[in-house]
Amino acid sequence: MKIIVAIKQVPERDAQVRIEAAGKWIEEAGLQWALNESDAYALEEALQLKEKHGGEVVVVSAGPERVGSTIRESLAKGADRAIHIDSADLGNRDALGVARLLAAAVKPENPDLVLTGLQSDDLGLGQTGVILAELLGLPHASLILHVEKTESGLTVKRELEEGWFQTVELPTPAVLTIQSGGNKLRYATLMGIKKAKTKEVRVVAASELAPDSAPVVVLERVAIPTKQKSTQMLGGSAKEAAAALVEKLKFEARVL
Amino acid sequence: MLLVALVVASGAGFWSRFGVVLGKILKSKKDASFHLFPIGKRIWDFVWEVVLQAKVIRQRPLPGLAHAAVFWGFCAFVLVTLNHFAVGLGLGFLDPEGSFGRFYFYLAAAFALACATGILGLFVRRFLIRPKWLGEKLSYQSGIIAFLIFLLMATYLASFFVADANPATRVLWWVHTLALLTFLPIIPHTKHLHLVLSPATVFLSRGGFSQIPALVGDEDFGLIAGTDLTQLVSLQAYSCVECGRCTEHCPAANTGKLLNPKEIILGLRGYLNDLGPAASEPLLGMYNAEEAPFQCTTCGACEFQCPVGIEHLPILVGLRRGAVNTGAWENDYGAKLFLALEHGSNSLGLPASDRDKFIEKAGLPLFDGTQEYCLWLGCMGGYDPKGREIVADLARVMNYLGASYGVLRKEKCTGDPVRRLGNDLLFQQLAEENLKTLAENKVKRIVTICPHCVRTIQEDWKDYGTPPPVEHHSEFLARFADKLPKQRDGETIVFHDPCYLGRYRNVYDEPRSVVALAGELVEAPRNHERSFCCGAGGGLAFLGEETGERVSHVRAAELVATGAKTVGTACPFCNSMFRDALAESGDGAPQLMDIAQLTARGLPENDPS
Repeated sequence: MKIIVAIKQVPERDAQVRIEAAGKWIEEAGLQWALNESDAYALEEALQLKEKHGGEVVVVSAGPERVGSTIRESLAKGADRAIHIDSADLGNRDALGVARLLAAAVKPENPDLVLTGLQSDDLGLGQTGVILAELLGLPHASLILHVEKTESGLTVKRELEEGWFQTVELPTPAVLTIQSGGNKLRYATLMGIKKAKTKEVRVVAASELAPDSAPVVVLERVAIPTKQKSTQMLGGSAKEAAAALVEKLKFEARVL
Repeated sequence: MLLVALVVASGAGFWSRFGVVLGKILKSKKDASFHLFPIGKRIWDFVWEVVLQAKVIRQRPLPGLAHAAVFWGFCAFVLVTLNHFAVGLGLGFLDPEGSFGRFYFYLAAAFALACATGILGLFVRRFLIRPKWLGEKLSYQSGIIAFLIFLLMATYLASFFVADANPATRVLWWVHTLALLTFLPIIPHTKHLHLVLSPATVFLSRGGFSQIPALVGDEDFGLIAGTDLTQLVSLQAYSCVECGRCTEHCPAANTGKLLNPKEIILGLRGYLNDLGPAASEPLLGMYNAEEAPFQCTTCGACEFQCPVGIEHLPILVGLRRGAVNTGAWENDYGAKLFLALEHGSNSLGLPASDRDKFIEKAGLPLFDGTQEYCLWLGCMGGYDPKGREIVADLARVMNYLGASYGVLRKEKCTGDPVRRLGNDLLFQQLAEENLKTLAENKVKRIVTICPHCVRTIQEDWKDYGTPPPVEHHSEFLARFADKLPKQRDGETIVFHDPCYLGRYRNVYDEPRSVVALAGELVEAPRNHERSFCCGAGGGLAFLGEETGERVSHVRAAELVATGAKTVGTACPFCNSMFRDALAESGDGAPQLMDIAQLTARGLPENDPS
């Protein structure tokens, strides 16, 4: 089974994000970067499928040179080789533009399965994977927690709302976008890092894969979320406070 | 002629086994980080631990003295024994009529008396009293050895009472000779091999406490197979005398866990015996359970106690390294900790912004390169609610003393838990990033509330750079003890020695002098270097304790039993463990306070008058 995992490098979870002067994007200088969370789960799913059924796991990622560190980390966790789509101006491309790059890199590989995270931690569009499937002309399913290989294709578990799940069967090749939390992630090891040094990373210039096209969607402005404090202290006896809490959870928060 | 033949046979019996053992040790991998120099400490350790038997006696006084009597008896007997055989060949060099000879024979007789008494005592202890850490199985070999030693001494002493012409003299001579020649080949076949090996083991030990050797080259991931065992590890494995002091003090072995440090060492010996140092079979699995090394709190009681120079911690951490650096170790909590530190900043897995909020709320000054001290918060000090209280109180005391200090804008976990769990990749990343931050901020001196941070920064980071000097807040506070207010109400405070402050750093008096300012110091039954772990070290605070009794509960019960009103701690991890354990003691539980809190409550600003 040949599996391609499309991954994205995003600012580290603990990064202190600042908006750049023009207000169109964040200041990238001095930021620490990490693998997008749901992409980490996509990679884990791919590695587990490979461990069960054999085959190859190839990671593909688009971005500037710094993306190399995240690619190395994926190779260290067990991916066999990588394709780095070198693009300094990824921010100028919309989801369709990025998906075109990915599709052009993935197509000649003829994979049995393409996995990617459900959405990115920075932009959170949730579109790239689905558009990629469309461009490749492959069936797809989104929000996947579990993948099982069957005789004829795949059986996958989708997450729906309110604790509901859906089981879907689909043929291969296919594209799946993976939801976080379906598996336990593996940790990086010294041995993995040392082995990764000898694995192949093919760097392809973005311009070789797809011509620049004017983005259909343009980011107008980014902003740090405004903070508001809405803590309410519930007074009275424990019984009264509990009753008031239930009231609020039911009718204000609507979680009960 | 008969004598010569017997001596040769006895020597051959000795060598037939000793040669094999020596071969296995010498064929093991070389210790890349071993340096004979500075040799002063080696000589001192040798004199103190071997010649004077100080460690043997200090940690188990009665059996220790008995052992020392046997050991010194043996030393005194070397000359007598050589002369004994020389006499057999007609070449005796000690003249029983000469003044030196007479003096020496009587001196040896005094030693022989002590030695015979000693071995008798040890025999009674092993076969009649039977302490549980000697193991359930009685060692008949020890019985034979004890009998032979007693026979040697008895025949020597008896010869003083028998006239030379008496035929009994000849009988005594031959019994003595045969006992000696039987004794020699038994040595390498039993744990009495320590007679020959342990002086070398003590002399050649790595020296530093819990000194974890750097990995060498691209193929070294820790202790995985026989080929990873170094000469020092093999020497130590063969030196074990099976006295069980390590087991006696081990928090894991004493709370129903699988880990028994003695069995770890004997497991390695079994591996070397059966498979040898060139084998590629895994060290864990057949000879030791895979989970055993991961039950270690790295408290170091075993290594501290060991009278024959075995360094358990590099071995236990080495076995963990082998499993973690290759990804063979699968543990949900461990993986969670590693993932939290791969891209996060702290072992608690909380966002770094939480630390910023705390710094702002507590009004801690930021370090700008001009202050004397960098107040290192650590994961517990920056993120744990109780740890934060301790830091805030230490800051108040530092303000009172007029010390200039600041906290770093950003700080990562020192890597203590991952270092002890054997994740070298992560440890290196954390050490390097932190060293870079400290250099950029021009930090010249660090003070922190966490003994784990102190140890890791000061010793373990050395593999990756030069850390600035670090001190624990107990050392800082003790230095200013005369400037700090003395609290007069005489509240009883039992002090719990943190392993990473005591055994790891040899700091015992400083925290006690701080406690003495706040009340009346009470000692727990196990204190100073024999303190019993709280259960948190070695990454175990993050792994949880799945089997047996909880180490923290055992220790907390011991502290409560002293009747002290307050439990004084000097480590935020101990504090956190006891916080949970004491909660089980109900309303009568003593209060729990760090030494910084004990000091801060005595500041004049708290005085209502």
